Amino acid sequence: MDEPLLKVENVAISLRHDGRSMVAGVSFAVNEREVFGIVGESGSGKTLLTRTLFGLHDDAFLSRGSVTFAGETVPLSGYAAAMRKRLGHAIGFVLQDPFSSLNPTMRVGKQITEAIYLAKGWPMGAERTKEAAMALMSEVGIPEPKLAFDQFPDQFSGGMRQRIVFAIALSQEPKLLVADEPTTALDAITQRRVIDLILDRSRRHKLAVILISHNLELLRQSVDRIAVLYGGQLLNIVTAGEIGTRTIHPYAEALFACIPARDKRLADVRAIPGEPVAAGAARIGCAFASRCSFAEAVCREAPLPVNPGAAATFSACLLGRGVH
Amino acid sequence: MLQAVLAVPRAALSFPRNGVEKAAIVIAILIVLLAVLGVWLAPFDPLKINFRGKLEPPSFTHLLGTDGSGRDVLSRLLYGAQLTLASTFLVLAVIVAVGCAIGIFSAFIGGVVDNLLMRLADIWLGFPPLILAFGFAAALGASLQAAIWALFFSWWPTYARLTRMVTVDILSQKFMASADALGVPVHRKILNYVIPNAFDVLIVQATLDVSAVMLAISGLSFIGVGAQIPTPEWGAMIADGRSYVANGWWIVLAPGLAIFLTALAFNVIGDMLRRELDPTSSRRQ
Amino acid sequence: MNYVAQRMAFSILSLLVLLFITFMLSHVMAGDPAAVAAGPSAGMAKIELLRREMGLDKPVLIQFAIYCGHVLSGDFGMSWFTRQPIAEDLMRELPPSLELVFVAMLINLAISMPLGLLTARYAGSRFDDIVRLLVIAGAGLPVFWIAILLQQIVAGDWHLLPMTGRLSFANRDYAGSTGFYLFDSLASGNFAVFGDALAHLVLPAFSLSLLFTAVGVRITRTAMIGEFRKDYVVLARAKGASEGRIMLRHVFSNGATPALTVFGMQFGWMLGTTVLVEEIFGRPGVGRYAVKAVSQSDIHAVVAVVFVVGLVFLLANLVVDLLLYLINPRRRTGN
Repeated sequence: MDEPLLKVENVAISLRHDGRSMVAGVSFAVNEREVFGIVGESGSGKTLLTRTLFGLHDDAFLSRGSVTFAGETVPLSGYAAAMRKRLGHAIGFVLQDPFSSLNPTMRVGKQITEAIYLAKGWPMGAERTKEAAMALMSEVGIPEPKLAFDQFPDQFSGGMRQRIVFAIALSQEPKLLVADEPTTALDAITQRRVIDLILDRSRRHKLAVILISHNLELLRQSVDRIAVLYGGQLLNIVTAGEIGTRTIHPYAEALFACIPARDKRLADVRAIPGEPVAAGAARIGCAFASRCSFAEAVCREAPLPVNPGAAATFSACLLGRGVH
Repeated sequence: MLQAVLAVPRAALSFPRNGVEKAAIVIAILIVLLAVLGVWLAPFDPLKINFRGKLEPPSFTHLLGTDGSGRDVLSRLLYGAQLTLASTFLVLAVIVAVGCAIGIFSAFIGGVVDNLLMRLADIWLGFPPLILAFGFAAALGASLQAAIWALFFSWWPTYARLTRMVTVDILSQKFMASADALGVPVHRKILNYVIPNAFDVLIVQATLDVSAVMLAISGLSFIGVGAQIPTPEWGAMIADGRSYVANGWWIVLAPGLAIFLTALAFNVIGDMLRRELDPTSSRRQ
Repeated sequence: MNYVAQRMAFSILSLLVLLFITFMLSHVMAGDPAAVAAGPSAGMAKIELLRREMGLDKPVLIQFAIYCGHVLSGDFGMSWFTRQPIAEDLMRELPPSLELVFVAMLINLAISMPLGLLTARYAGSRFDDIVRLLVIAGAGLPVFWIAILLQQIVAGDWHLLPMTGRLSFANRDYAGSTGFYLFDSLASGNFAVFGDALAHLVLPAFSLSLLFTAVGVRITRTAMIGEFRKDYVVLARAKGASEGRIMLRHVFSNGATPALTVFGMQFGWMLGTTVLVEEIFGRPGVGRYAVKAVSQSDIHAVVAVVFVVGLVFLLANLVVDLLLYLINPRRRTGN
C-alpha cells in the first residue's frame, strides 16, 4: 500500500479544437481501497477532469503533467488510447444520468454479460457468465434477477438503473471505481441508498473509489479525503474530518458554510457572493480571489501552488490558509 | 417586422465560412441575374431553326454549339434560365405562402380542425410529386401549369407543418398572454410575432427546397409532362438533346450542368443558412 | 395493440384520401368522364349511353362510393391505348419498376448506413467534410441527366454494361413466373439470366439511387450523431468496448429507428421517380406506362398508376412502422 493506485501530477487539460487550457496544475493521489471525493460547482472542471483523465472525453486532452496508474506511467502522447486499454478491466464507471447511461434497446442482463465478456472473454461459458451477472444483480439489490435479466432499461426506475450501471462496473472486477455524481438525479432517499450501496460493495470488493459531487455534505459523510476544484484549479485536498474542525482553504470553508445543518441557525448559512468562475478563463493567481473575503493583491498576481509530489493533504491558498 | 427582414442581409454577410460557400453565393447571384437579364444577353433567337447549321460543336459564334435543329444552345440556355428559375421560384413561393397560411390558420384555430389538417398533412407529406404530376397533366393537359399545380399539391404539407409548429410554440409563450391582454389583433400577432420567428426556419427549408423543386420541374419537362419541346426549359432541352448525345454531347451537358450547378449552389447556401440560423442543428465544431 | 390499431386506422384514412384524390383527378377534373371513357372518336349517342351506364347522373358521393368499390376490387377500367384491362397492364408493368426500386434501395442502404455511421462518429473531421460535400452535390444531381451521361459513357463508350432493356437480345424470350426477373431466374437456378438481368439493372438502379443516397447519408448521420453523444456510449467505452462494437451493436440499433422511417418513405418516392430512368434505359415499368397514357390522354390509366404508387407508398410506410414497432421494444412499452 505504499504506492498510490492513481497518481496525478500537475496535469493540465486543454480543448482540442482551440487548444485552450481549461484545467491546470492539478495534482492528487488516490490510494488503494481509499474513497476519494472531488467536489466542485458546475463549471469547475470536475467532469472534464475525470473524463479526460481516463481517456473518455472526445473534445479535450491532457496537455501537461504525468499520470501513473497501478504503477505504470501513462505517456502523454496517445494518452486516451493507452488509458482506454485499462478501462475494461481496471477502472469502472458510474455516470450521472441514469436515463441515458444504459443502451435503451439492449436487455440489461446482456449489458452486464457484455461487460464480463469484454473484461475476460468467455472463460466461463455463456451459462456461467449469465449466472455471474445475475449474482451481481442481487448483490446490488435488484429484485428478481432472473426476470430482470431479460428486461429493458426503461422498465426500471432511476435508482434501479444506477444499480445496474454499478453492477456493470463491478462485473469487470476493477481496481478503481469512478462515480461521477451518481445520485444527483435521484430523490433524497434513493440517493442515500445508492451511495451506501456503492460504498459498501466497493469496500467489500476492495475497490478504490473516486466520488465526484457538487454536494460537499454528501462527500463529507461518505469519503476519506476530498479534493476541492474551482475554476479549473485544485484549491484544496482535505480529509473529511478536517472540515468544520480545522482551518481549510477559504473556498472550501465557504462551501461548507453554505450547507444547512441542524446545529446551524438559518442566519449562519451563507451563500457565496458573486457568480462561480468557469474553468478555462485564462488567469494568473487564484480563481477564487474575486469572491474570497480574505483576498489580497498577491492572490491575483502570484502563480498558484500545485501540490508537488501529490501530497495527501494540500491547500493552494497563497495566504497559507489551510496549509498544515 | 421590416427591421427583422432588413437585418438578414447584414447578418448574412458574416455567414459564409469557407471558399465553397462564398463561391456558392456568387454562383447563385449570377444565375439569378442571368435568369433576369438573360433574355437580353442571348445572342440568338432560341427558337430559330437552322438545319444547315445543326450539331455544331462549341465555337466562337455559338459558344455552346447548336442543337439538332440548329438552334443556339447558349441562347436557349439563357432563356431557359428564366423559365426554369421563374417556375421554380413561383412554385416555391406558392407552396410557402399557402403552406404557411394553412399552418398558421391551423395553429390559431386549434382543436379538431387543427388535428385534422395536420393529419392530412402527415398523410400527404411524402406523396411522390412526379406521379401526382402525371395525374394533373392527364387531367389538365401537359404543360408547365399542370406541373406547377402538381408540385404545389405535393409540397404544401412541409411548410404547413413547419409553420404550425412554430406558431403553436409562439402562441404558448408567456408574452402572448400579455399581447392578448393588450388586445392585439390577430393579424398584428401574426405579422409581428409569428412571421419574424418563423422566418429563419422557413428560409432554410425554402432554400434547400429550391434544388428539389427545380429537379422536379425539369424532370417533368424532360418526360414531356411539363414544359413542351421546343420550349427552352432546361429539362426539355435535355430531352430534346438526348437523341444526339453521341454526336453532340454539349446539347445535353450544358443544360444538365446548369441545373446541377444551380441546385448545388442553393444546396450549399441552404446548408450554410441552416448551420447559422437553426439552433437545433447538430453540427460538431 | 393500441399502437397497431391506431396505425391501421391511419392507413385506412390515408387510403381514403388517396382514393379521393384519384377520383377527383379522373372524374371531376378531366372533363366529361363519359367522353373520356368513350374515347376521342365516339359520337354523342355513345357518350350519353356511357354517361348513364357510368352512373354520372347520380350524386357525386355515390359516384365516389362506386369508384372506391371498383378500385378496391381491382377493377381500374380499360385502357384504351393498350385495349386491355388496366389491372392487367399494371400487373405487367409493376414488377420491373419494383425490381428497379428494390435494387436501388439496396444500393442506397449499402452506402448510407456505413457512411452515415462513420461520418457521425468522426463528425467534424476532413472525412466528414468531404462526405458532406459529396452529399450536397449528389442531392443536386438531376437523375435523368446522370442517367444519360452514365449510359453514354459507361455503356456507350466503354461498353462495360448494356445500354437498354431488361435483358439482352439472346434472352429476349425469357418470361419468369412473377415478372421479377432476378427472383425468377434465381429461383429456377438460371444464373445466366440472373447475371444478365443484374447487369441491365446496374446503371438504372445506380442513377436512380444517387439522389436518395445523398439524403440517406444525411439522415443516417443525423440520427447516429445524436446517439454518439449519449452517456451509454461513454459507458460502453468505459467497459472497454471497441469503436466497431460500439458502432454496430449499440449506436446502430438505436439510431436506425428514425432513419428507417425515412428510408421507408424513400421507397415510395423512388417508385414515383422510376419513370425518368425507365425512359432513358428503355425499361418497361409503371412510369413509362403512365407517360404513354398521358400522351394518349388515357386518364384512367394514369390515375390507376397514381393510385398504385400511392398505395405502395402507404404500404411501405405501414410496413416500416410496424417492423420498427416490433423490433424496437421501447415503442412497445410506450417509451
